[in-house]
Amino acid sequence: MRCIYCFLIFFFFMINTSLLFAQSDTLKPSVTVDGEVTKPLKLYAADIAKMKHSTVNVLSRDGKEHSYSGVPVLEILNMAGVTMGKDLHGENLSKYLLVKCADGYEVLFSLAEIDTTFTNRTVVLADSTDGKLLPSDRGPFQLAVPGEKKPARSCFQVTEFIVKFAKE
Amino acid sequence: MRLSSTIVCIGLIITLSAYSLHKTAKPYIIQYPAYFGNRIFVPDDNPETDAGVALGRMLFYENALSANNKISCATCHKQELAFTDEKKFSSGFDDSLQPRNTMSLVNLLWVRNFFWDGRATGLEEQAKTPLTGIHEMGQSLTVSVEKLQQKKFYHPLFKNAFGSDTIGEDMIVKALAQFVRTLVSADSKYDKYLRGEYKPTQSELNGIALFYAAPDPANNIRGADCGHCHGGPKTYSELYQNNGLDSVFTDAGREQITHQSFDEGRFRVVTLRNIALTSPYMHDGRFKTLDEVINHYNEHVLKSSTLSPFLQNKSNIVNGKQLDLNQKEKKDIVAFLNMLTDSSFITNKNFSNPFLN
Repeated sequence: MRCIYCFLIFFFFMINTSLLFAQSDTLKPSVTVDGEVTKPLKLYAADIAKMKHSTVNVLSRDGKEHSYSGVPVLEILNMAGVTMGKDLHGENLSKYLLVKCADGYEVLFSLAEIDTTFTNRTVVLADSTDGKLLPSDRGPFQLAVPGEKKPARSCFQVTEFIVKFAKE
Repeated sequence: MRLSSTIVCIGLIITLSAYSLHKTAKPYIIQYPAYFGNRIFVPDDNPETDAGVALGRMLFYENALSANNKISCATCHKQELAFTDEKKFSSGFDDSLQPRNTMSLVNLLWVRNFFWDGRATGLEEQAKTPLTGIHEMGQSLTVSVEKLQQKKFYHPLFKNAFGSDTIGEDMIVKALAQFVRTLVSADSKYDKYLRGEYKPTQSELNGIALFYAAPDPANNIRGADCGHCHGGPKTYSELYQNNGLDSVFTDAGREQITHQSFDEGRFRVVTLRNIALTSPYMHDGRFKTLDEVINHYNEHVLKSSTLSPFLQNKSNIVNGKQLDLNQKEKKDIVAFLNMLTDSSFITNKNFSNPFLN
């Protein structure tokens, strides 16, 4: 009887352990912010959802305009302590933002392209489009860059923001 | 005391001489066309040198780097096949089959992360995997060093390359990486066309146009949009995509590395340089011919939650669900792919077995 009891405890322990491994095997998607920052960030979907959102319209690959709701990239860079706004002058104007995506795709912006003291447009890290969560092959985070004739910089499945100095 | 100081001085002089010898090793200049761009990856601690590349070439063909002294890197990476081996899955030293198809070694100077899932950063890191894999060459680098130490002819080669009489484990992978970075293919018919030295046939020209054009039936533009992922003169971008081979995955691909569900079924987008020589195709070698590959993209792409968005809703007919290329168009694309074969690359003596020449 004691043997059976011990076996059952062992059996349930093993099941729980394997479930734990199964759960921890898949990581939550996130966007990291690193490089020329004073405060590196790692933002998850729940963090993004809590932040103030803006909505922009972007010409998409289907040739139609769609609305994208998300957090202005400027706000994210400000949170990370990037030299934006009144600090974006002098040598800081030679900094760039490299945006990396899950499939290896990368796009680049000068910081001035993101800063609303330089430009009227608002580039957002979107988590929804046309009132719905982004589809799985594009989300959970897509860059939405309004005012561009080609949607090539409105890239899918964003995973990293890296701020660097151009040193050439 | 005086004797010990003298010994220390001599030791220092020997060390400094060795160091300066390495530092003065003649740089190896890798030649490539301007249209390939300069986004190349050579680590600061492993610059290309004549001596390093020559040593790496010998190690590439060195059977002593395997546990049974019978296989080398070149066993699975044959020059005449653009450094592949025609097999669906290559055999290791113990005759066990590898889990994925052997990748070609072409234009890796422009690649940051290696293998089908991108798990190795840099060629130095990549080289360790087949060397030490228990079902590949099956030998620790420590044992490889011991074996090479016993071959006296290697001593001056390592000294010339790295300035040291003692062979180190890192020197083996560094020399191999230096050699592999020199494997540049840039003299195909397509290169000659880009340089204005070759006039393509009509079929080849049609193939080039279809390869790069996105289908737009509303504006009567026919295309296959292969260039979206395989674009540019290198026919390569460092991307990972699920290209619709499966809807249920027996191999999770890049997800095994990133642990992100959106990477399930994603694999490296390969270079198409010398693609006609590197059959069979895909990570599991399921397609034997380029015709089969084209047929897959044209009419057999399978849906799943991670299917590349760039393979969805692309068609040459309005509201079509598949590419819908006709037979002539498929042949034209294959004609273009055949333009990427570089006969001078597969016969270049600088890449061949130095033990035979």
